[in-house]
Amino acid sequence: MREIAGYLPDIGETTLEMKVLTFSKKGETVEAEIPLLTKEQINKVIEKVKKASEEVLKSFSVSDMICIIDRAIEQLLDRQSPYRQKAEKLLPIVTGYDEEIIRLGLTSYLKTFRKKELQRFLAEDFGNPLLLDDFQPRIKGGFSKAIGPNLITHIWAGNVPALPLWSFISGLLVKAGLVGKVSSAEPFFSGWFAHLLVEIEPRLADCFAVVWWKGGDEEREQRLFEQSEVVIGYGGNQSLQSLQKRMPVTTRFLPFGHKISFGAVSKSSLDSRKGWTTVHQAALDVIRYDQQGCYSPHLFYVQEGGHVSPRDFARFLANELENFQTRYPRRELSMEESAAAAAWRQREEIALFSKPGHEVLGNGANDWTVVYEENASSFLPSALNRVVKVIAFRDIEDILPVIVPHRSFLQTVGVAASPAELFRWAEQLAKIGVTRIAALGSMTSPEAGWHHDGRFNLLDLVYMVDIEAAAEASSEQFAPYVD
Amino acid sequence: MDQQQNMIKHVMEFMQEEPSAEQDFNELALRLYTYQYQNNLPYQSFCRQKGKTPRMVKSWKDIPAVPITAFKNITLSCIDPEKAEAVFMTSGTTQGVKGKHFHPDLRIYDQSMTLNFKNRFMQGVDRIRMGILFPTEEEMPNSSLAHYLALAVQEFGTAESHYLLTQQGIDIDRLLNELNRAEETGEPYALLGASYSFVHLLEELTRRGKTFSLPTGSRVLDTGGFKNQSKEMELSEFYRLLSAALGIERSACINMYGMTELSTQFYDSGNETIPSVKSGPHWIRTRVINPLTGEEVPKGEQGVLVHCDLGNFNSVTTILTEDMGLETENGFLFLGRVQGTEAKGCSIAAEEFIKTASKGALE
Repeated sequence: MREIAGYLPDIGETTLEMKVLTFSKKGETVEAEIPLLTKEQINKVIEKVKKASEEVLKSFSVSDMICIIDRAIEQLLDRQSPYRQKAEKLLPIVTGYDEEIIRLGLTSYLKTFRKKELQRFLAEDFGNPLLLDDFQPRIKGGFSKAIGPNLITHIWAGNVPALPLWSFISGLLVKAGLVGKVSSAEPFFSGWFAHLLVEIEPRLADCFAVVWWKGGDEEREQRLFEQSEVVIGYGGNQSLQSLQKRMPVTTRFLPFGHKISFGAVSKSSLDSRKGWTTVHQAALDVIRYDQQGCYSPHLFYVQEGGHVSPRDFARFLANELENFQTRYPRRELSMEESAAAAAWRQREEIALFSKPGHEVLGNGANDWTVVYEENASSFLPSALNRVVKVIAFRDIEDILPVIVPHRSFLQTVGVAASPAELFRWAEQLAKIGVTRIAALGSMTSPEAGWHHDGRFNLLDLVYMVDIEAAAEASSEQFAPYVD
Repeated sequence: MDQQQNMIKHVMEFMQEEPSAEQDFNELALRLYTYQYQNNLPYQSFCRQKGKTPRMVKSWKDIPAVPITAFKNITLSCIDPEKAEAVFMTSGTTQGVKGKHFHPDLRIYDQSMTLNFKNRFMQGVDRIRMGILFPTEEEMPNSSLAHYLALAVQEFGTAESHYLLTQQGIDIDRLLNELNRAEETGEPYALLGASYSFVHLLEELTRRGKTFSLPTGSRVLDTGGFKNQSKEMELSEFYRLLSAALGIERSACINMYGMTELSTQFYDSGNETIPSVKSGPHWIRTRVINPLTGEEVPKGEQGVLVHCDLGNFNSVTTILTEDMGLETENGFLFLGRVQGTEAKGCSIAAEEFIKTASKGALE
């Protein structure tokens, strides 16, 4: 099956070189055909998008934008719509994730972009979203307006389906033109979204482009970076570093590096009645996209003293993962990934010889691994793909010193605790660099209006223009009707 | 005769015999397995954990393979490690811990090396003038490669063979003299050493604009890959440059694949095509497995290498490497170390984390 990926504005008669990326899963193959633009074509795209952004996008009111996005999301949520059906059919083959996981993941994710969520999203960052349309009075006096850039370049990464929508939609809300580079691990979704938007509002046709080039292609990147006011990059620190090096000083670069997240489970959530639910929620966070998201847990800290001990928690978690393997099997791993996962488990098994309290739980086919540890002295990422550690702790203060050296990597903590504990723990975790406290079981679905890596999704994209109070006052004397 | 001496005798004899049937290999492998199971308690518990006691193990393929990382954490020896004549240590470490391989004495190691080296590298020549691009055994007493190369010089080098590595790096003047001399006299010359030293050598020769045309019979043995000690180089490019700089056919550039955790080495028959087929003598066998299930992969498919080396009479015969490979008609292709793969999504991969974490520690 061959499917065109990406989206191009009208750049006139031109021959496009198409790059073909091939994906297969269980005998089914999808070929993604995506335009690989020449330098000249890139230039044309930049010109076109900037112009449309200035003339068309900026003429929409922010509530117009919200309505257009809402209609697109509505279609993507509708399982009968052709785009949704295509997504459900192709994404499992492209990314390797289980069909059900993708279906459920898409729905819970897309729901965060409906009209009411977008309004909340805007209110969160701007207070008064009309700032994006007109100069608005400020409490301190004077007026301000928020202006979105004419061009934002988005460098997307990874295979978690639809993830690029975050920055895509953020850009649209601030009325910024977009050139997006898709990841070769999931080249489709953002292009589909672009086509869908244009079907809904044809005037948007030239306001964005979704393309691909090989990462590190300096010629193409250089031109784009010079012409963009903002570049949003996703990826590992190494590739972000290399992007940053090439960023002109006049272009704002917003890097989103790889992150590590974990769970923290209080004994208050581990009584005989609630314990099972807690374990179940933890397992859900592990199996969703096989821990590939930055908000996915690598390990769970489990408090001692509950009815379910940390060791039991590990065993129950193993049991849940085994159950889930039947219903939502893990993505098929490449030989390299298999070897890495196996090597991780072997190291843990060998470590048992020197750490007698530990336990390594897994099945024969290595579909998942749970390691139980006491007195953990290190904070290390798991091998992912349903590999997780359970570490016993007594007080939250005991685990912080081990984690704090890694503050630049921290993101989400999934918490199951009483209200008093939730706030006390949040206080402690905030100090060491955690930026999001989620409910256990919801780690992989950030709420609308969340602060991604502690930042402002929209506010970081715009610049504010102020009319100072004095300017306003002084203008009065020049009014034709002045007495 | 005690049990250990008895095992040594059997293994030594087995190595000297003509290549034998699967059955003989199997028999000795199982004897060694039982011996190691009985005399090495950590290994015994490892086997029990895997549910494989000598009663269950009917073929050398059933012997539980010990991941090489275990050499770092567990004492894998049938004798008191204090009494070992030699302890070879890995160069790579995990949090400062090196893998240790205990050899009660080196008779088996040395015999394995010499029989195999004679056959695969010397190819009918008794002795050859050797230059060694590696530190001496005295400088690196725990390096199996230093011992290996010392043995090569002692058993197969002419009296004029020499070491070319000093504290300051390659003794380039001496090397140039030797290469000139070989060209002039027509006496074949052999250069042996770590792959990354050859990269330095190539850089140095390029810088000086020197190329040589060494006499027929000259040869090169490199081993160990590049280990980030020198700039990474495509294998094919490496052998092309090596062949061009020294005037040696790529078929005379032999790569040795060895590990501290083994007592036997694998060789290819030159590197005209990349990757070359590696094979070992009749006392070592290799399987290619799917690391998740431990099952052998269909022939010709990629997997992780497991070696069963009867020369490992004191530690464990069967080790699970972190090397990718695939089985061929006459041996296997070595496709490189298992790399920590980048996460598919935006979660951090262990490799990146550790790299950054250790960088932080150095600063």
